[in-house]
Amino acid sequence: MRHGRYRFLIGALAPPLLLYGVFVVSPYAQAFYLALTDWDGLSAEARIVGLANFADLWSDPLFLAALRNNGILLLIVPTAVIALALFFAACLTLGGGTKRRGVRGSGLYRIVYFFPQLLSVAILGVLFQFVYTPGDGLLNGLLGAVGLDSLERAWLADPATALPAVTAVMIWSAVGFYVVLFTAAMESVPTDVVEAAVLDGAGRFTVFRRITLPLVGDSVQTAFVYLGILALDGFALVQIMTVGPGGPDNATEVVGLTLYRAAFTYGEFGYASAMGVTLFFITLTLTALALRATRRERVELA
Amino acid sequence: MDVRSSRRALLQLSTMAGASAVLSGCVTAGGDGPAEQATGAVTDDNPLGVPDGADLEVVVFDGGFGSEYTQHAVTLYEERHPGAAVTHEGLQKVGEVLQPRFVSGEPPDVVDNTGAGRLDIAALAAAGQLTDLADLLDAPSLDDPAVRVRDLLLPGVVEDGTLDGTAGFLNYSYVVWGIWYSRSLFEQHGWTAPATWDDMLALCGEIKAAGIAPWTWQGKYPEYMMDPLQSLAAKTGGLDLVYAIDNLEPDAWRQDGVLAAAEAVHALVTGGHILEGSEGLSHTEAQNAWCTGQAAFIPCGSWIEGEQQGVTPEGFDMAMAPVPALTAADALPYGAVQGSSSESFLVPAQALNPRGGLEYLRCLFSTEVARGFAESAKAMPVVKGATDGLDLSPGLASVAAALDAAGANVFGYKYRTWYPELAVEVDTATGELLAGRADPDTWADRIQAAADAVAADDSVVKYER
Amino acid sequence: MKTRLSDSLLHVVLAVWALLVTLPLAWAVLSSLKTDAEIFASPWSLPASPQWGNWVRAWQEAHIGRYLLNTLIVVGGALVLVMLLGALTAYCLARYDFPGSRIIYFGLVAGMLFPVFLALVPLFFVVDQLGLLGTYHGLILVYAAYALPFTVFLLHAFFRGLPTATAEAAFIDGCSHAGVFFRVMLPMARPGMVSVGIFNFLGLWNQYLLPLVLNPDPDRYVLAQGLAALAVSQGYRSDFSGLFAGLVIAILPVLAAYVLFQRQIRAGLTAGAVR
Repeated sequence: MRHGRYRFLIGALAPPLLLYGVFVVSPYAQAFYLALTDWDGLSAEARIVGLANFADLWSDPLFLAALRNNGILLLIVPTAVIALALFFAACLTLGGGTKRRGVRGSGLYRIVYFFPQLLSVAILGVLFQFVYTPGDGLLNGLLGAVGLDSLERAWLADPATALPAVTAVMIWSAVGFYVVLFTAAMESVPTDVVEAAVLDGAGRFTVFRRITLPLVGDSVQTAFVYLGILALDGFALVQIMTVGPGGPDNATEVVGLTLYRAAFTYGEFGYASAMGVTLFFITLTLTALALRATRRERVELA
Repeated sequence: MDVRSSRRALLQLSTMAGASAVLSGCVTAGGDGPAEQATGAVTDDNPLGVPDGADLEVVVFDGGFGSEYTQHAVTLYEERHPGAAVTHEGLQKVGEVLQPRFVSGEPPDVVDNTGAGRLDIAALAAAGQLTDLADLLDAPSLDDPAVRVRDLLLPGVVEDGTLDGTAGFLNYSYVVWGIWYSRSLFEQHGWTAPATWDDMLALCGEIKAAGIAPWTWQGKYPEYMMDPLQSLAAKTGGLDLVYAIDNLEPDAWRQDGVLAAAEAVHALVTGGHILEGSEGLSHTEAQNAWCTGQAAFIPCGSWIEGEQQGVTPEGFDMAMAPVPALTAADALPYGAVQGSSSESFLVPAQALNPRGGLEYLRCLFSTEVARGFAESAKAMPVVKGATDGLDLSPGLASVAAALDAAGANVFGYKYRTWYPELAVEVDTATGELLAGRADPDTWADRIQAAADAVAADDSVVKYER
Repeated sequence: MKTRLSDSLLHVVLAVWALLVTLPLAWAVLSSLKTDAEIFASPWSLPASPQWGNWVRAWQEAHIGRYLLNTLIVVGGALVLVMLLGALTAYCLARYDFPGSRIIYFGLVAGMLFPVFLALVPLFFVVDQLGLLGTYHGLILVYAAYALPFTVFLLHAFFRGLPTATAEAAFIDGCSHAGVFFRVMLPMARPGMVSVGIFNFLGLWNQYLLPLVLNPDPDRYVLAQGLAALAVSQGYRSDFSGLFAGLVIAILPVLAAYVLFQRQIRAGLTAGAVR
């Protein structure tokens, strides 16, 4: 067993770590260094300013608005996506009685639900910009068609509806993938377990809660991490879709946008790097917390 | 987007000097220093000394004006230098692509630095990235060896491109801002473009009665509406008002003229004169609403005709009117317009073939290419007399007429290029004003607070005029 | 009877979401066949006659076909590379205990959490210094490097969950470490590899920021760049129908690939989910 162990480890790990070190770690390390400077992207030298950039962040209304909005996205997007996906997945696998797996047409639903996942963010942004167009956009047109004219509005131009509109796009695009993922996990529940439970008089809901849900726990945990990262970004959608962008009145400002603007519009590269570093630590903390909170004994079906 | 939104997106340039100082010791060390730049023999045929057979790389902004005219200049260049391989590349986000190339010392030979995400020209100049265009300006023009290139350009063009006493870039097009309408629609209803703001409001009532929204605007980019507003202000308060704002003077945004202009524009909101939902429209959506007759007026710069080329209905007959006068005691006459040159061509200092770059610009700034530009891009070129005798499109003709009428009364603001942080806040506040969520006082206070913050911020480089 | 009733209710709910998902896409397809004037007249009206010219324009003038090919080359190359390197890394970290393994693991996984555009300017220098700017292989290397954290994160858990008996038996039979990995563990991990591969494919396919900065040559544009360019130039030319046609052309191949392979993709996800 010992023979050639380290030779193998070194041979196997050197190429990926080299790749990672060169293209990922070193740029980030440079960014960490920049966060401690006042580099403006122009002057010949950067002054080390210590933590001054980080101190300034907490009195920057734009950054705080961005943090708030990312916070809202973080609260809503993963929860909503996972809840919807679990619901649909349960419908698809548990419906249709115990004899058949899933409701009629569940195969088709699974294909259709996955569609949004195939659209890149650039496509999503452009497409939904037209969906939300005031007046005769797709959404207003639909509302008008079903007699809900009073709800028609300029969705992206009203501070009250702009962020919800962006949130809805995120949810819309993400649900399908997790439906497929969770359906897959749920179908791994052996039929005899379900049948035994049903024989014992368990209803559909009980089966779902007692047997299915614990088994998809791992998938849910992965989903939370992945969706959390998605919610902390939002840059591309906001950049393409919103008024301003980031508006109206900073209602859809996200950290990515604030950072991008600081770096590339104002040339405050050090300050922008400080935002990125802050976001990094926030993400890191939240992930650690989320993993801890959702950690549970793995259900073994041996 | 267009010239306007571009100002918002000034991409700061990390110069080789800056970048390598910061990043050396890391993985990177910036450019390898300028490569050897060849110069050929100067002859009558080759006044700029373009080296024989040197290749040329031209990168242009492929925006509302298209790239016919820059291609046209390539053809002229190739005729004059048969041995040269010329590459011509049209881009939309010039800065994103070229910033790295400037930083690494491998820029192209000619750059049209325009559009959203263009590079900050002042930063480029400060970093020594621009070739002095003096040799080009003093070279004989392509049209007539007796006329220097300098003398072929409209007044103000060389000054516009001069930074710290050096000619760093040349703008190709002259842009004028105003209020646009359809002549055919107005004739059909017997309306005329109003000369005073009171007339404007009265006409808005009439237009509304005819079942058309009087105004629409490009709500996603509030700076479009900022132009009529700041034109009204400039007309009322004159250049003193403009300079006070650009120089970040205390209470500049609370000057009477500024507040009166904000009140005037706000009256469109309170009067219900704006097409519903305009605050959520992109520039193309708003302009299409206007083109399809849903609204009568739209604020825009003179590029709108080219931008709408594909979708303007037959017989629409678009025309630009100057922004109306606000008071009887206005400091500037009715005909005064906000205008500036745009579409900035430059030759990078580190280009491999800078002499070829200059020669390319000599071809570009020729009457032949400029005439083609006026026809294909439907915009004003900066070359004197280029549009003479041309059958101008309706929009362009109205722009030329407005420029003629304005004479010396052409004004422009600088705060947007000088202080992008302030511009973002101006746009946000203006968006709120036009959406009816802020009144003129709140609007002014908010912008004044932002202006004061910029004025107090030592890390922002200040300019004065 | 009770089951029947609630089943119809389920169907309604499921169908509503299916409608919500397909409507915007159907609308994009419809709009891609209209003239600009028709698009603005009403969102749902049918075109007077289908404007296939929009598609031709998007294909020829916007070079969607070339972008598609570029994307396939870059994404395909990066996918193979990242799956190979990611599996090796995850396997070593999951199945071998050696000093520093936890540090390497967390160092890799932390890379998932960093906002990418912060690294962009320094990254540009790195790529430029290596002479990889605007090349397929440069983009492939960078794509793979940035997909590595997520790949390792997921495969690590997967390799942990694999039974140890087979590997031990192989060692006893005299198999080398590399042999065990390639002949025993990798085949066992195939379901997990497929599911992570799908995640990665979608992620790489949608990559936008990295090519934007590292791939300045329009001839080598990937699809996302090409579409963004199309959307931006639409902003200058008001060619809405051409934009919609470009969108649809960009969506269709992925959609077709998914519908064709959805069984395999789902099987992969099933295996990945069970671990």
